[in-house]
Amino acid sequence: MTFPFWMLIIVLAIAAFSIRVLGLFAGDAIKASRFSWILDDLPGLIVVSLVAASLANQSVGTWLAAAAALAVAYVANHVILTMCVGVAAYGGLVWLGF
Amino acid sequence: MKHGAIAILPLAAGAAVYGFAFGLLAAQVGFPWWGVALMSSLVHAGSSQIVAVEQFADSAAVVGAAFAGAALNLRYIGIIASLTEVLSGLSLRAKLLVIHITGDENWALTMSQRAKDPQIGVRFLIGSGLVMITVWTISTTLGAFVGSTLPNLEKFGLGFAFTAAFIAMARGLWRGHANLVPWIASFAVTIGLVTLGIPKAYAIVAGAISGLAVSHILRDRRKRAL
Repeated sequence: MTFPFWMLIIVLAIAAFSIRVLGLFAGDAIKASRFSWILDDLPGLIVVSLVAASLANQSVGTWLAAAAALAVAYVANHVILTMCVGVAAYGGLVWLGF
Repeated sequence: MKHGAIAILPLAAGAAVYGFAFGLLAAQVGFPWWGVALMSSLVHAGSSQIVAVEQFADSAAVVGAAFAGAALNLRYIGIIASLTEVLSGLSLRAKLLVIHITGDENWALTMSQRAKDPQIGVRFLIGSGLVMITVWTISTTLGAFVGSTLPNLEKFGLGFAFTAAFIAMARGLWRGHANLVPWIASFAVTIGLVTLGIPKAYAIVAGAISGLAVSHILRDRRKRAL
């Protein structure tokens, strides 16, 4: 495992624990502040941006597979099921030449 | 403590499947099984780990990957803050250990059980948390171990599994129609910037900030309308 792998683990561990500690000592004050809406909104916006970055410049097949995954996610709201259907749809569409 | 450990088992089974899938993906990116074990035990945040590893696979940029992963974990500020009463009476060292083993599942279960029975408290949280972090670490490690023995799964569409996982996470984070316009703004800005050739890590941050700006404007308008 090279240096960047070690760094990712260490930096992510420190960030994750720092956020928990922040919640322990300042969570109530942050929740009561006028910036609390950022905590509510940011996770969803980051995830939507991640989806967009994954789909930009991709084939029609990838977008169709994403639509299939979205439909399953909307109905089932289940991570593993969405991943399975998404990968199967993607594989099927690539096999069909999309 | 035993009560919490047993009550969490159905949720732990679900996390084990997700953990195994994450381990497979992490191994394909180049993480050894023991690196995944180290990450799972030290970070203990499923969605953060999957986001960080995907970003890392794309660019090997540590700061961008850690930022994206950590941003997803901001909800823990609220989660941990809600435990003030449950954690009262513990030493600081014990509190720090308990907040590390607190995840979405055992927090939600503890709070829902506590609403029915006020006797449910920190021992239940600890018992369920110990099971969750153990199951998460073992399942991700097993996934990575199996993933390292498989050929390159990218050609079978495994790379798309990350995208599908993000779509599922977005569904879980959907809070209603108020999210719609900010999410469209984030999506459109990110797509536009990546299409223009901006590196994905920057485009994601710019997309998220654009969404925040739109959300802020809409909230202001709603307040004025009242």
